[in-house]
Amino acid sequence: MKISLNWLRDYVAWTGSVEELVALLTRTGLEVAEVATRGADFPKVVIAQILESSRHPNADRLSVCRVDDGSGQPRQIVCGARNYKVGDKVPLALPGAVLPGDFKIRTGKLRGVESEGMMCSAKELGLAEDAEGLLILPPDAPVGQPISTLYPADTVIELEVTPNRGDWLSHLGVAREVAAFTGATVRRPEGTPPATKPAGDFVSLKEPGLCAFYSVRRIHNVKVGPSPQWLRERLEKVGLRPINNIVDVTNYVMLELGQPLHAFDAARVQGGIVVRTAQAEEKFHALDGREYTLSADHLVIADHGRPVALAGVMGGEDSGVTESTADVLLESAVFDPASVRRTARALDLHSDSSHRFERGVDPQGILAASARATALIVELAGGEADPEVLTAGQLPASPAPITLSHARCRALLGLEVEEAAIRGALTGLGLTLLNEGGGTTTWQVPSHRGDLQREVDLIEEVCRVVGMEKISGRLAAAPAEPAEPDARYDFQMSLRNKLAALGLSEARTSTLVSQAMLWQDRPALRVRNPLGEDQAFLRTSLLPGLLAAVQRNIHQGAKSVGLFEVGRIFQAGEPEESAALGVALWGRAEKKDWRGGAERDLDWHDARGVVEALAGPHRLVRISAADPLGLAAEILVDGEPIGRIGQLAPAAARALDANAPVVVIELSIEALRKREASPSYREIPKFPAVTRDVAIVCPLPLSYEEIEAVLRGAGEELLVDVEPFDVFTDPGGEKLPADRKSIAISLTFRTAGRTLSGEEVNAACERLKERLKRDLSVDFR
Amino acid sequence: MEDRIASLQTEAVTAIAAAADTRALADARVKYLGKQGEITRLSEGMRDVPKEDRPRLGKRLNELRQAVTAALEQKEAALAAEADARALAALDITLPGTVRDLGSLHPLTRLLDKAVRIFRRMGFVLADGPDIETEWHCFDALNTPPDHPARNEQDTFYLPDGRLLRTHTSTVQIRVMESQTPPVRIIAPGAAYRRDEVDATHLAQFTQMEGLYVAENVSVADLKGTLEYFFRQLFGPGTETRFRPHFFPFTEPSFEIDIRAEALGGRWMELAGCGMVDPAVFEAICSRRGDRAFDPDKVTGFAFGFGLDRLAMNLTRVPDIRMLVENDLRFLKQF
Repeated sequence: MKISLNWLRDYVAWTGSVEELVALLTRTGLEVAEVATRGADFPKVVIAQILESSRHPNADRLSVCRVDDGSGQPRQIVCGARNYKVGDKVPLALPGAVLPGDFKIRTGKLRGVESEGMMCSAKELGLAEDAEGLLILPPDAPVGQPISTLYPADTVIELEVTPNRGDWLSHLGVAREVAAFTGATVRRPEGTPPATKPAGDFVSLKEPGLCAFYSVRRIHNVKVGPSPQWLRERLEKVGLRPINNIVDVTNYVMLELGQPLHAFDAARVQGGIVVRTAQAEEKFHALDGREYTLSADHLVIADHGRPVALAGVMGGEDSGVTESTADVLLESAVFDPASVRRTARALDLHSDSSHRFERGVDPQGILAASARATALIVELAGGEADPEVLTAGQLPASPAPITLSHARCRALLGLEVEEAAIRGALTGLGLTLLNEGGGTTTWQVPSHRGDLQREVDLIEEVCRVVGMEKISGRLAAAPAEPAEPDARYDFQMSLRNKLAALGLSEARTSTLVSQAMLWQDRPALRVRNPLGEDQAFLRTSLLPGLLAAVQRNIHQGAKSVGLFEVGRIFQAGEPEESAALGVALWGRAEKKDWRGGAERDLDWHDARGVVEALAGPHRLVRISAADPLGLAAEILVDGEPIGRIGQLAPAAARALDANAPVVVIELSIEALRKREASPSYREIPKFPAVTRDVAIVCPLPLSYEEIEAVLRGAGEELLVDVEPFDVFTDPGGEKLPADRKSIAISLTFRTAGRTLSGEEVNAACERLKERLKRDLSVDFR
Repeated sequence: MEDRIASLQTEAVTAIAAAADTRALADARVKYLGKQGEITRLSEGMRDVPKEDRPRLGKRLNELRQAVTAALEQKEAALAAEADARALAALDITLPGTVRDLGSLHPLTRLLDKAVRIFRRMGFVLADGPDIETEWHCFDALNTPPDHPARNEQDTFYLPDGRLLRTHTSTVQIRVMESQTPPVRIIAPGAAYRRDEVDATHLAQFTQMEGLYVAENVSVADLKGTLEYFFRQLFGPGTETRFRPHFFPFTEPSFEIDIRAEALGGRWMELAGCGMVDPAVFEAICSRRGDRAFDPDKVTGFAFGFGLDRLAMNLTRVPDIRMLVENDLRFLKQF
């Protein structure tokens, strides 16, 4: 909401600077979004009238005008604009004037013709962002007067009003707050409360729950026309477009007092006013020119035929005030906030009126606003008002009194607030002390503060007025007992740190994914109202997102991609949410450096190395690979599955423009965490180990795992470690038959308590070779 | 013979001293001390020396052998020292180091972990809750009216069964109070979702950190002390904190916190929302639990929440929030 500082000062006797006001409003909880300077405060820019205009002798695009600047001596001005006619009044910058942008006006020749000043556009005066041609002033503008008489200098402050404070949505409301925080006096606009009379049959309230009180006042024989400049200027400054004097008054009073009003053309209201819910499929032409199809959820103001307004939201197109209107019906009412909100939202039709009714209006302000608007209409549009306002229904009850325990106030704030400070704060905000005793005070809440309902609401008010800066921060609480979430967090951070140490970078991909990013292995949950199909599902795996990131990096020219993510995955079924770790690898295994050396691509075994680093000893069991994986294995630790490892099918890798293997891992973090054990000391061997290498030649399909199983299962007590150190195949069949491979394995022997002799190691090694030959029919090189 | 010993010593010591490298030194060793070497041959000549001269000449010969051996050792050590010095001098210390690149942690993770460590120092523990939540946990229990705009389908993602993706991590406050008894003192980092069109400053999914402290006699002073400490630790000494009155349905009084710190460019920046837990929230918890463990007449508490994405952007000068989820390695490796 925008407020004008000049306008605000009509209601509060406070004379601080703009900066002080901004600081003050911020303190009260009114967030200042923007401060803008408006108006045209240029002493040497005057209102002038164009007397004559003729073509410039030397330039087609220019004209030469004679203008009256009020001095009695017409001036000659050269002008490039074309949007004026002789007799128009315009702003004239006299020599010596300084316009925005430090633009100094002086007498000079333009294409050989003397110009004694400059006629100005709205843009040149800083009154508009963008404006073509001269600013044409109202016909009644006083020639010779400074332009600031029409456009007084002002500051417009844009405020962000929280939804609980509907009472701030007016200049008077902000003025009250300024007064409460500074001790200044509030000046309410003059107005005598009108006499009221029951409306009888003329107004019928069918839904008292949605419209508890309705008032209407008839004003006869008005003359509808443009509003005077001061009114137009005020409305325009805070962002409203002037329409005509009647509509402008209703808007002005709304911005002044906070009560939305509506004026009907009395001739267009047939029979009387019925406040009812709409019929299904009932049509309504609103003032915005659009037709709305209503339902029984929407409250309307109807005459005896059709709806003439959407209650509290917008008036109807064919019942509004126009130039031909003679009699006006001025509505001032209260509508249920929830009902107005539902209607505005359902129809996507939000107005200044709905904005205020949604937040609640001051029940005591309804008739005051009606009286204020009536007085202004009669003043500006003539006519005469009925002596009485017709009313229907009951004015909403005033808020109930609230009792405040001062001890509770002090305890909750953590501040020994003085008795007088509590009373002063609440009194300043317009509350009335009803009772006191026993360390408590009981307060009557003013009708515009419907948000104050409980003791804690009063404590908040005391806190606001006293100020947070009075409260000293306190840090004295016992530590809480850590639980599972702490252990989970720590474990996840340790995984992240290990993976970063392994050279991988942490990614964060979106939880919401497209259907194409779901792999078919888990049932997915869909969002009912996604922003688009590309974000319609909750991811069932981290891998599709990581693969998209791999592709992005390939396209950016990366030579090597190692990404991981720790995040939540989802499925339809139990567990619905779980923490997962995803890894994706592609590209060069090492970055090139000056040592040279062989380059190779990351592959399956590098991914397995990551599993080894995180999970320790494990087994892989091949599982059927679903698209896009071409190869997949389950990862088992002590027989328990902890996740899977896979390699993209070559076609799927090509689809990512990956020219080397793309390998992925997905681990269940909780499965991994269950296996986490605190390390404990194992004795460091005192006697040296002895190693022997064996080079096995075997058929290609024989897996290393089978060989290792035979070695470890042979019952050789001295054998403590088995490590492959070379794998060789020769598809050309020159050094080795093409259907065989050579695996060189290093065997480590050791025993506690003594150094092994060469003979016993050799004997053990021979026994192992015999065993391999017997069980697996391998040869040795 | 005696003359021969003297001249041989002079000759050998000179030759050894002149040896330019280890090979020349080895040749010298063979020439004088080898099996066919000159000193060896001279020793063999002792057989022809008269008996009475033998002890004297034997002693001289021995001295010769010792002198040559010593010269050899000395020269050998000198050559080795020279070779060592040359080897080190030849190293081009200006070539770049070779090491496998370290990976990197996501900037959000780094900020989150820093925040977690500060709160832990103050005695907070972690808590968490699901991303998929019930409307009760996300809105009802947090005193949000049934027609509040945030519940709108335009603003919140719903699942077909009526549950939703939490719009804030404040749901964890409710989860914690459902299952624990006071005192509770938790922080809860996690994902939250809003139906915002994605642009340079908005993501539909973002990261928040929630905090809650409920016990007897918790006051605004505790709230202020805790958050002032936190932001001072996060942004450094000299950080200014401003509590601005605000409105949230689930706290009363409520504040927004503005921070001014060098690390954030030295201008006021709105960073967090906070307040004292609204009694209505405690009442909702009490009726859910069926007990009075969180009776608002007995306990009070404060809660706070802030978004990490925008904060990470401001701290690291990232111009576009989408960079946080694009996972471009040229970006990720900067952290």
